[in-house]
Amino acid sequence: MSTTTPAPSVQGLEPEVRLGLYSSMVLVRTFEEAILREYHADKGPGFDIGKGLVPGEMHLAAGEEPVSAGVCAHLTANDAVTATHRPHHFAIAHGMALRPMAAEIFGRTSGLGRGRGGHMHLFDPDTHFSCSGIIAEGYPPALGMAFAFTRRGSDAIAVAVTGEGAANQGAFHESLNLAALWNLPVVFVVEDNDWGISVPRSASTSIPNNADRAAAYGIPGHRVEGNDVDDVHEVAGRAVARARAGEGPSLIEVHTVRMWGHFEGDAQGYRPDLAEVGDRDPIPAYEDRLRSAGVLDDEQIARIRADATERVEDAITFAKGSPEPDPAEAGMYVFAEEAQS
Amino acid sequence: MIQSDIHGETPHVGTQDDDLIQLLTVTGERVHHQTYSSRVAHLDTEALEGLYRDMVLVRRFDTEATALQRHGELGLWPQCLGQEAAQIGSGRALAAQDHVFPSYREHGVGWTRGLDLRKVLHQFRGEDHGGWDPAEHNFSLYTLVIGSHALHATGFAMGVQRDGDVGTGDPDRDRAVVAYFGDGATSQGDVNEALVFAAVNDAPVVFFCQNNHWAISEPTERQSRVPLFRRGSGFGVPAVRVDGNDVLACYAVTQEALERARSGGGPTFIEAVTYRMGAHTTSDDPTRYRSRAEEDYWRTRDPIDRLRLHLVAEGTAPEFFTALDAEADAYGEQIRDYCRSIPKAESSRMFEHVYAAEHTLVESERAWFTEYEAGFATEGAQR
Repeated sequence: MSTTTPAPSVQGLEPEVRLGLYSSMVLVRTFEEAILREYHADKGPGFDIGKGLVPGEMHLAAGEEPVSAGVCAHLTANDAVTATHRPHHFAIAHGMALRPMAAEIFGRTSGLGRGRGGHMHLFDPDTHFSCSGIIAEGYPPALGMAFAFTRRGSDAIAVAVTGEGAANQGAFHESLNLAALWNLPVVFVVEDNDWGISVPRSASTSIPNNADRAAAYGIPGHRVEGNDVDDVHEVAGRAVARARAGEGPSLIEVHTVRMWGHFEGDAQGYRPDLAEVGDRDPIPAYEDRLRSAGVLDDEQIARIRADATERVEDAITFAKGSPEPDPAEAGMYVFAEEAQS
Repeated sequence: MIQSDIHGETPHVGTQDDDLIQLLTVTGERVHHQTYSSRVAHLDTEALEGLYRDMVLVRRFDTEATALQRHGELGLWPQCLGQEAAQIGSGRALAAQDHVFPSYREHGVGWTRGLDLRKVLHQFRGEDHGGWDPAEHNFSLYTLVIGSHALHATGFAMGVQRDGDVGTGDPDRDRAVVAYFGDGATSQGDVNEALVFAAVNDAPVVFFCQNNHWAISEPTERQSRVPLFRRGSGFGVPAVRVDGNDVLACYAVTQEALERARSGGGPTFIEAVTYRMGAHTTSDDPTRYRSRAEEDYWRTRDPIDRLRLHLVAEGTAPEFFTALDAEADAYGEQIRDYCRSIPKAESSRMFEHVYAAEHTLVESERAWFTEYEAGFATEGAQR
């Protein structure tokens, strides 16, 4: 959906839009639950992170679906998204094909990066999507893409995502400053999930509201305090419309929730709110709201969930059935041409 | 819930002086300021004459060094011309135990720390191991990398915190740290990370930004959409904007910031609005990118001239200025003699110690450079 006018108010949000937001969140959660199942299937006694179908670290985004759904509802595949080490929700909400995405996560040759990137490095030219395991490193490339869109006369925009911890990185500040100066069509999105791994926000950030950081660079900043997809949709709609209209960058911070660990296997012993975190699941809450509003009934819920499951299991089956890269080819694709030893 | 603190309006950098703290006008009149006048009330005529002497002698040092570079005695010189008030005013507010992390243009601050400025010449003459002992004057070595020392200053300040030298109430013990950098450095991630760390840890550090309007050839308005001191709000750091060519105002705001830091109140961001009257360095030609009219405007706001006007009006005798001129001339001669006495190192020595073992690339570069330098000697001999 391409939006060039300000989004309607929450009360006026059309039922189809809300169904779209709901479906996006359900699809993401279904995908992440399937990854969770496959990831933990064979980690052996004592959780060996190197074992199983998906070796290595895994950062899942359960609880943060309102951010990706609310923002990406305003985007098309022409728009760029640069995401974080926790990228699945934004990748799916932005329309990434699930089969090559799952295959990449499983490290198979049919994956987006031929199995060489893994879950933190999903690069998809079709949807202008990229992400990185390096904190805040998606911000400068988003500016580059936005600059390119502008030079080509396109009204496409770039969305750059980080967590609240990354908002303390130099790259974040350099990007806000340069985007402001060059009036680039960028929407900066900060997912404030309270925790930078085990570091609480209060120990990393000196201000309660990163919207104040936006003001310090002369751009609009908005903080969405609740993890509410309708609110995110509204605020993101204004920011995206501003960017498309050539009015420059904005920053959105959403106070969201990381329902699971920083990575799978994180016991989260540092976290005092662990017992209540399940109560903050945004999906059942939104489901109830839509049911009350008459937007959604049990039959539709069952169909949306069944569709999601079917698509996700298809992607997982595709991934598991794809070949693994030949170890002898590990040195390929490092340089465009074969390196001279 | 959507918070209503939406900042839709975009402020722009301007030359409006609404927020600018000033205690001494360009014509040398004292201005009353509710907050800051009391901080300079104790400075009597003798003290003001002292500040004037500081600025005159530092300018002489800077002018001599520039000339020495033009004579081929120094490889490079970064001038502080025009920024004497920002450096002397802030530097004279420091206590002995405070520690300074300068960039590469803070000759005036070094002067206030009791550093023999002639030592600064060693580095720019290319001498091996040029420099000074940072602990002797609590004045670190110059940092040529833009903004990186803001992090060093913050780390040092966090160390001061852990030594317990903050908030004891003992004026001889409590310490602050000052990082000096320019307007260009505010665009660097390092400076922003330093502000984040300083703010979240309440580190006793003062970020003293000399906005001299030019980051080499890049004007400030192409580096920030907001006046630089507004950056402080993004970090939860108190920030002030001061007339950087007003030695009294610079003294007052720095003193306030230092007191906040030493007492445990955390960091402050100071934007001292000044002007780089000279080139970025002697390798730069500012006529390529800025107008004579702009330079002329700032020449009327000279930091030394306005204090001289004030002193004259307050009755300082002409003999004071005559004697100071003689002192400056004598100082200039010392600087010239000293500089020429520093032995020059072989330039090709820069190729040493790059790799532990001999490296073909370095060796080929050394050979090229040796031949290049020898070429100069040959040309000179033929003339």
